[in-house]
Amino acid sequence: MDWGKRCGIFAAGLLFGTAGVRILVSRDAKKLYAHCTAAVLRAKDALMDQATVLQENCTDIYEEAKAINEEREAQEAAEEIEEEAETAA
Amino acid sequence: MKAIIRHEIPGRLRVHFARRRLSFREADTLHYHLANLPGVESVQVYERTADAVIRYSCDRGALLAAIRSYDPAQAKAPPEVLEASGRAQQAAYRERIIASVVLHFGKRLLLPGPVRRLLTWGRALRFLWRGLRTIPQRRLRVELLDATAIGASVLSRDHGTADSVMFLLDVGDTLEEWTHKKSVSDLARQMSLHVSRVWRISGDTEALVDAGEIREGDLVMVRVGSLIPFDGVVARGEAMVNQASMTGEPIPVRRSAGKSVFAGTVVEEGELVVRVTKVSGSGRFDKIVHMIEESEKLKSNAESKAETLADRLVPYTLAGAALTWLLTRDVRKAVAVLMVDYSCALKLAMPISVLSAIREAGSHHITVKGGRFLEAVAEADTIVFDKTGTLTKAQPAVREVISFNGADARELLREAACLEEHFPHSIANAVVRAAAEQDLQHEELHAEVEYIVAHGIASTIAGKRALIGSRHFIFEDEGVEIPEGERERFEAIPEGYSPLYYAKDGQLAAVLLIEDPVKEGAARAIEALHREGVARIVMMTGDSEGTAQRIAASLGIDEVHAEVLPEDKARFVQLAKREGARVIMVGDGINDSPALSAADAGVAISSGAELARQIADITVGRDDLEAIVALRRLSELLMRRIHFNYRMIVGVNTALILLSMAGILPPATSALLHNASTLALGLKSTTKLL
Repeated sequence: MDWGKRCGIFAAGLLFGTAGVRILVSRDAKKLYAHCTAAVLRAKDALMDQATVLQENCTDIYEEAKAINEEREAQEAAEEIEEEAETAA
Repeated sequence: MKAIIRHEIPGRLRVHFARRRLSFREADTLHYHLANLPGVESVQVYERTADAVIRYSCDRGALLAAIRSYDPAQAKAPPEVLEASGRAQQAAYRERIIASVVLHFGKRLLLPGPVRRLLTWGRALRFLWRGLRTIPQRRLRVELLDATAIGASVLSRDHGTADSVMFLLDVGDTLEEWTHKKSVSDLARQMSLHVSRVWRISGDTEALVDAGEIREGDLVMVRVGSLIPFDGVVARGEAMVNQASMTGEPIPVRRSAGKSVFAGTVVEEGELVVRVTKVSGSGRFDKIVHMIEESEKLKSNAESKAETLADRLVPYTLAGAALTWLLTRDVRKAVAVLMVDYSCALKLAMPISVLSAIREAGSHHITVKGGRFLEAVAEADTIVFDKTGTLTKAQPAVREVISFNGADARELLREAACLEEHFPHSIANAVVRAAAEQDLQHEELHAEVEYIVAHGIASTIAGKRALIGSRHFIFEDEGVEIPEGERERFEAIPEGYSPLYYAKDGQLAAVLLIEDPVKEGAARAIEALHREGVARIVMMTGDSEGTAQRIAASLGIDEVHAEVLPEDKARFVQLAKREGARVIMVGDGINDSPALSAADAGVAISSGAELARQIADITVGRDDLEAIVALRRLSELLMRRIHFNYRMIVGVNTALILLSMAGILPPATSALLHNASTLALGLKSTTKLL
């Protein structure tokens, strides 16, 4: 690596160590972090809400399916009884 | 509150309330309110979306009107119910799991390679640390296996596998923790919502009031066998208090004036007047959770057997992996063998089976305090039943009062009732009820009442010593005499009843004939138990020989012991155990407590004394004996499931190992199959047994 590059890297490191870190922990930066984290938490909340909605809807569908099948069976049983009654009569 | 119907089928309604979200408290209060409406079978409230799912069998219009008239600002739920809410815990765990899943897949999709690799290394270090920590214990454990697998993957640059492995392990851990915590809190909830009425002292009188009406500073009387309902300080009296539910000590401590007592502890001997310092919501739920977690009761033998077996298989898996690597020089294959480890499957499936069985028992109104007891019930070959209140209806009735001292039968009944009023015994209740039916008022005619366990009650009425109790107590212990000329009448007392003897001043005053009808379905239950393989069914009672024999014959009981003292019951149980039998004891009274502790599984019927319920390992919430048959069937099915799980896990995983060693299965597939089979078995173990 030539001398120029080394100087450059050194300078960058110096800058980072002094001004850079200062910027990263400054009040404004913290505000930025807070807002970002708040956004992430909101996203997480929205995700949880969606998961709940999904769960509710799936349960609805499942229960309805069970009800439909039960009704079908009841109907078939009723038909059988009718048939038996007819053949017996 | 305004609500709209989101989904409806006959008998099931999902309504959305006009709010964005409900807090946990609001959700719990709503749940309590809805669940208590007549005709409502089950309710589920989703707090995130402010939805409620209601299954009902009542009139739809009435239900909708009730929902519309619900006002969240006014509605209140009792503090014990709010305290025992599991909502926050459940929400927290759901979030953890969903977050895990989303983050895992999100990382794969969104994060750039180098960052991902860094994160993988970081997480891997945690597992490696966990594994290394077990080495000083000089035993090869699962954590070491996991650490080896993850370490090997990471070192061979197979970050994908390492990630998947860590993800599955984390999810598995969270699920196990969640299932455990949920079962503990379900159990605690069943146990904490129990005390409902207490004796409040105002001035000189005692009155039975709802626990909800007690305020700080009130005086509450707690007698033998009863639960101390609130935290407080002893104002009068002295007693031996069993604090097992607080401190875990089985030995009772003496509590006298000035000492403090805790809610949820039981008075074993004596009686106390307690000044209440903390009303409902005194953290009883938390105390019970603490007790359950502290006690060893949760581990079942079968369960721990499985766990130690899991650890014992670790060296074989390690050896197999090493062998594979030596033979094939393919690290991935060796890692595949490592991944197929028996222990994580065992550690997941076994506790889940047990806890799920406990929860299912709960749905049959049976509270089981630990997997160990289900195992004992499954293996039992002997059952010992207490008679009164267990095999016979909890509501015996007074048939006749025969006067022996010339006084009016009604007067004698009145006196007997005022003595029997204070005790939680089914025969005592019968006497009190008989007096109430005849409209006999009985204010406190007596001085202090002394209860002698399993024998009777002693007190003083108008200066004379009054006693009520069994034949043994009245005639043998206290030496009461039959008045002159009454001996013939005494011998002529009809058979077939349980007699209660009332004596005043050393002379027999009256005999109260108590009819103790057998519970319906008792004979059926006994027959069913015989069919389920319980060879020896025994009945023990303090009652007279004649009555006992008659009842035993009608029920099909194998062995009868009558006129038995409480110590004898316990001794019998211990003797049977020494002879190699596995014994279940079923009882309801204070005098059954020693036997309940001695048995392999002690079952208390819920209509009995608090002390019995606290000491018992299993509490049956219903009155009929069908529940005991159900308990036995459930336990046997659980044991069968545990054995099936074990064989399945060993079988499937051994097959996977052999297949991947032979190179027939690529390592990724074998890991996937292992995980899938583990999850499937875990899920299957949560299904109902009965």
